[in-house]
Amino acid sequence: MSPRTARTSARSAAPSVPPSSPAVELPPGLERVARRRILVTRPVVRIGLGPGERALVKAGDSIEAGTPIAERTPDAEVVDIGKLPGIEAADRPGISPATSAIAVDDEDEEAPRRDRRTPPVPGKWWVGGAERRGRPPLKKPLNRVAGTLLFETHGRWRAAVGERHEVVEAPFGGVVKDARNCVEITVEVNGSAIPGAIAAGEPSRGYLDVPRLTDGELWASALDVGKSGAVVVAGSRISAQAISRARAMSIRGLVAGSVGQGELRDLAASLARQRASLAPSVPFGLIALDGYQRRPLPTPLLALLAALAGREVAVSTDPPLLVFDVVDVPLPELARDWVRVRSGPHAGREGRWLEAAGLRRFRGGIYLDAAVVRFVDETDTTILPIADLERFVL
Amino acid sequence: MTSQQPRAFFALDLGSATTSAALIGHVGGRWRLVGHSCAPASTGADALLESLLRQIHRADPEILEDLGAGRGRGRGSEAILESWPRFVASSAPPRRIAVLAASRRQRNRLESVAQRSGWKVVSASVDDANPMDLARTIFATETCAVLLGADRSPSGDDRKNLPDLAALVAAATRQRPELLVILAGGAAAYEAVFAEQNLAAAAQASAASGSATATATATAPAPTPIPTLAPVAPSTPARDRTDGTAGPEADIASRPPDKDASQSKAAVGQPQAQLGAVAGVERDAEDAPLQAESGSAPVDASAAPISTPSVVAVPELPATHVLLAPDVEAGSPPGSSLQQVLEGLRSEPNDSRLNIARSIASLAYVLDRSMEVVEVGLQGGLVARSEPFGHGHFSILSSHASLVEGSFAPEDPSDEVIDALAAWSTASIDRHRLTDRLNDLRVAPWGNAEGDGATFRLAAAKAALTRLVAAAPEISERPMPELLVAAGGIFASLPASVVTLGIADIVRRSGISQVACDTARVLGPLGTIEDEGERRRLLANLADDILLPMGSLVVPAGVKPGKSAGHLKLKGTSYVSEIELHPGAIQVVDLPSGRTATADLDFRDTVRLGTRGHHFSMDLSGGLVGLLIDLRDVPMRISERPESRRAALEAWQKGMWPEVDE
Repeated sequence: MSPRTARTSARSAAPSVPPSSPAVELPPGLERVARRRILVTRPVVRIGLGPGERALVKAGDSIEAGTPIAERTPDAEVVDIGKLPGIEAADRPGISPATSAIAVDDEDEEAPRRDRRTPPVPGKWWVGGAERRGRPPLKKPLNRVAGTLLFETHGRWRAAVGERHEVVEAPFGGVVKDARNCVEITVEVNGSAIPGAIAAGEPSRGYLDVPRLTDGELWASALDVGKSGAVVVAGSRISAQAISRARAMSIRGLVAGSVGQGELRDLAASLARQRASLAPSVPFGLIALDGYQRRPLPTPLLALLAALAGREVAVSTDPPLLVFDVVDVPLPELARDWVRVRSGPHAGREGRWLEAAGLRRFRGGIYLDAAVVRFVDETDTTILPIADLERFVL
Repeated sequence: MTSQQPRAFFALDLGSATTSAALIGHVGGRWRLVGHSCAPASTGADALLESLLRQIHRADPEILEDLGAGRGRGRGSEAILESWPRFVASSAPPRRIAVLAASRRQRNRLESVAQRSGWKVVSASVDDANPMDLARTIFATETCAVLLGADRSPSGDDRKNLPDLAALVAAATRQRPELLVILAGGAAAYEAVFAEQNLAAAAQASAASGSATATATATAPAPTPIPTLAPVAPSTPARDRTDGTAGPEADIASRPPDKDASQSKAAVGQPQAQLGAVAGVERDAEDAPLQAESGSAPVDASAAPISTPSVVAVPELPATHVLLAPDVEAGSPPGSSLQQVLEGLRSEPNDSRLNIARSIASLAYVLDRSMEVVEVGLQGGLVARSEPFGHGHFSILSSHASLVEGSFAPEDPSDEVIDALAAWSTASIDRHRLTDRLNDLRVAPWGNAEGDGATFRLAAAKAALTRLVAAAPEISERPMPELLVAAGGIFASLPASVVTLGIADIVRRSGISQVACDTARVLGPLGTIEDEGERRRLLANLADDILLPMGSLVVPAGVKPGKSAGHLKLKGTSYVSEIELHPGAIQVVDLPSGRTATADLDFRDTVRLGTRGHHFSMDLSGGLVGLLIDLRDVPMRISERPESRRAALEAWQKGMWPEVDE
C-alpha cells in the first residue's frame, strides 16, 4: 500500500477520484460490505459550555488555532445575586450593581459605555463581589465572582458564578457557526479530519508523534517528557497506565485503535478531580479509531498518520476527530477490493475480497451471507461473514 | 385491480443496525412475500434492493415479469426500483428529554411515563438535585425537550419550588430557543412565564435587527396526533373479518382515552409539525460537514456513521414551543394520556416501533387472537399487546411501551445493564470485558454474529427483553397471548430454538402460546399504511408468510418437584406419541410447520395452564422448533450464585442449541 500525494485542503484542490468512490464499479457483492470513511473535509465540531461559562467569539468570526474562544468557570454554583435594576446594572466588570449608579458619575467618559449596555437577560455575563453572595468579607480581600445570569423570580436574579475562570483556546482554525453562552460553540473547521469511534477528555492540539510500535502497541515507558506537547499514536490500545503517564508528561493527546470503558471512566474521574483542584492543567484528549476491544490500527489509517507525523494536529471530542489543516496530505492508495475484518475472531486482519460466497453455515449453526477473502501474506482463502467486513472510502 | 395499480411493492425497514428489504407481490390471486434480505445499515437501500432482485431473479427468472417488471418505463432493476412503490419504516436515534419536577415523588412518576414513550430520559427534582445540576441538564445540547410536571393541584413542595423551576426553564429557552417545553398538569399554570420570555426575546431581537423573528408561545390547538404516510396502498380481496364494514373500525388505541388526552393531542399537533421541521434541519446540518466541498471528488455519502455534532447552528432563532399536557394521573391506565402526547412528540411519521404496534393491532383483528410482540433493536425496544374484545370481537384493545432501555446495546450502559447481561450470559467474563463487548456491539451491531458472538448477542437480547417486560407491568399481568411475535434483527439472526427458549425464559406466564418471528421485518413498513381497512386486508393475505412459526409454547405453573409431573399424549393425523413430563425440564416434541395436533396433558398434581386442573386438552400448531413444554417454575427460580446460574442456563441452552459448542 504505497502512499500517493493529493491536495485535500478544504480550500485547495480536491483529492483525485478514489477507487472506492461510487463512480467506480465494485466487484459483485462488495457493495454489501459496510463502508468506513477515513477522511472528512471541513467538519463541524462542537465545544460544549455549561451554565456560568461564556463564549468569547460570535457566529461568523474567523478563528485561528490558539484564539481564545471561551471562558470556563470550573467552580460555578448557583447564587442569588439580588436585584439588577436594569440597563445601569450590567456590563461593568468589578463594579457591583448596587454601586454602579454611583460609579458612573463621569458622564463624558461613561456615556458611550453605558449606551452599549443591555438589560440583564438570561445568559448574560455578570461580574460581582462576594458580598453579593450573602457573605460580607471580614478582614479578607474581596473576592470577585463572575458567571452568567440564569433566571429572575420576584425581581431577584440567580446566576451561575464562580471565582476561578479558565480561558479555552481554539485547538483548530475555522469559522464560528454558532456561539451561545452556557450552551456551546460550533466551529466549521478549516481542514480535514480522520473520524474516530470514541473520544474522551478535552479538545487539544499538538504535533503528531508516530513512534515505532512493538507488535502494534506502544509501551507506556516510551511516553517520556520528550513527547511533551505531542499527540502520540499509541497503537492498538490505550492502557490506563499510558493515559496517566501521558498526562503527567504534558502530552496533549493519544490516538489508538481502541480504549476500554474502564480506562475512559478512570480518565473522566481524573479530569473531574483535576478540575476541582486549583492546579491548572493542559488540555488532554484521546481518540480511539475503532472501538473498545483491542484491534490493530487499520493500515490505510496508519499510512495516513505516518504521513502526518510531525505536523500540527488537533483532537476534537465532539465528534471524535483527529483534525489537521495541512495543505498537502499524502493519501493512501486504496485498492477497490481491500477489506478489513471489523469484528469476530479475525478482527483486525486485512486482505482482498475475492467473491461473494452466498449463505454459509458458521459456528453455532448460524447462517450468514459470506464472502471469500485472501488475507495479506496468506495463500489460502478464508470464508467470512460479510457483516464482519468493512471497506475504506475516502 | 386496474393495470395501473402496482402488482408488487417493497417494504423497507431502515433500522439503526441493519436495513431490511422485502418484496411483496400479488401472486396467485393474493399478496405474498416474494423474498427478503438484510444488510448493515450503512448499505444503501437501493443497493440492497438490487441485490434482492438479483437473488429473486436467480431463484425464479419469471416471477419478476409476472409481477409486472417488464411493463411500463423499461426493464431491469433500475426501472423496477424507480416504478414500484415502497413502504418505509425507520428507527431514528432516540432524543433526550429532561424530566423536571419539584418533588422526587412527582419526578419518579413522570420519568416512568416518559421512558415508556421512547424518550431517552434524564431527570431531576428540586428536592434532591443541586441547582447547578438542574441548570446543566437543561442547557445541555443533548436535551431536546423538557417535561416540567406537577399534580393537577400542586401543593407542598410542588407549590413552593415550581415558580423557581419554571423560571429556570423559561430563562433557558432564551439561550436555547429550539428547546421543546411540555408543561404537564399543574405546571401549565406557569405558561405565562414562557410567554413573557418569548415576548422579551422577540423584543430584543426586534431591537437588534429591526424585525422580530420570534413569536409568542405556541399552544394553539390543531389536529393530527401522529402523522402517517399515505403511500400507494394495494387493494386486495378481503377475508371474512377484513371486509372493513362490520363493526367499529377504530381501535381503542387510536381513540383518545379521555377528554384530557384529546385536548392534549390537539395541542400537540401544530408544534409537532414544527418539531419535525427542526429535526430535518438537524439532519441536513449533520450531513453537511461530511460532504466534500464543492468541486471535490465525490465521497461516499452513506459511509459508516461517525459521531457528528449533536447540534447545529441556528441562523434564525425560532420561538420556543411550549405545549400543555395532561397530568401524570390522566388516562386509563394512569399516565397513558401523557404517554400518548410524549410519544407523538418523539416519533417520526414512519417510526418503526409505533408502526409495529399498529400492525399487531390489525393482525389481532384479522386473526381474531390476542397477540403480543416483543421487539429488540439497537436504539430501543417495544412490547405491545392487542386483543379483540366485546361483542363479535370487532374492537381491539391495545397497549404498548417503547423503551430506549429496551436496546440490546444501550448507550453508556449502567451497572444494572451490565448486571443483567452478566446474569444471562453463559460465558464467564469479567465486568470490564463485558462492558467493552457490549459497547463494541453498539459500534458494529451487525458484526460478530457467529460462535461466541451469537451467544453474547443472545444474552444481550435477553437482558433487553427483561427490561422491556419489567417496564410494562400492565401487559405482564395479562394472560399469555395466543400468538407471541418476536421482532427485530437480533432475533432474526439467531436459531429459532434459542429465540423460543429466550422468550420462554423471560415472558414467563402460565399458559399456551404460539411463538412466531417477523423474520422479514415487514410489520413496521406495513404499519405505515394509513388506511386501517387496507392494512387489515393486506395483513390478512400476508399473515402466513410474514410470521415465521417457531412453535407452540406450553408453560404450566405450579408443577411440583418429583420424578414425574405427568404425561403428554400428542395425537396427529396419523400418529400418537406419548411422553413423560419431568418437573424442572424443558421438553421438545417434533411438530413441523403447518401441522396441527391435539395434545392431552395429564398432570400428577393440580397446575395452572390458563385455568387450574389436572387434565388439559388442546389443539397446537407446529413450527421450526415444534412443541416446547416448559416445566420450570413460574416465575423462574434460578440460583443467584454466578457459577450455578451459568451452569443452569448453559444446560438449558445446550439442550436447545447443540451446535453452540462447534
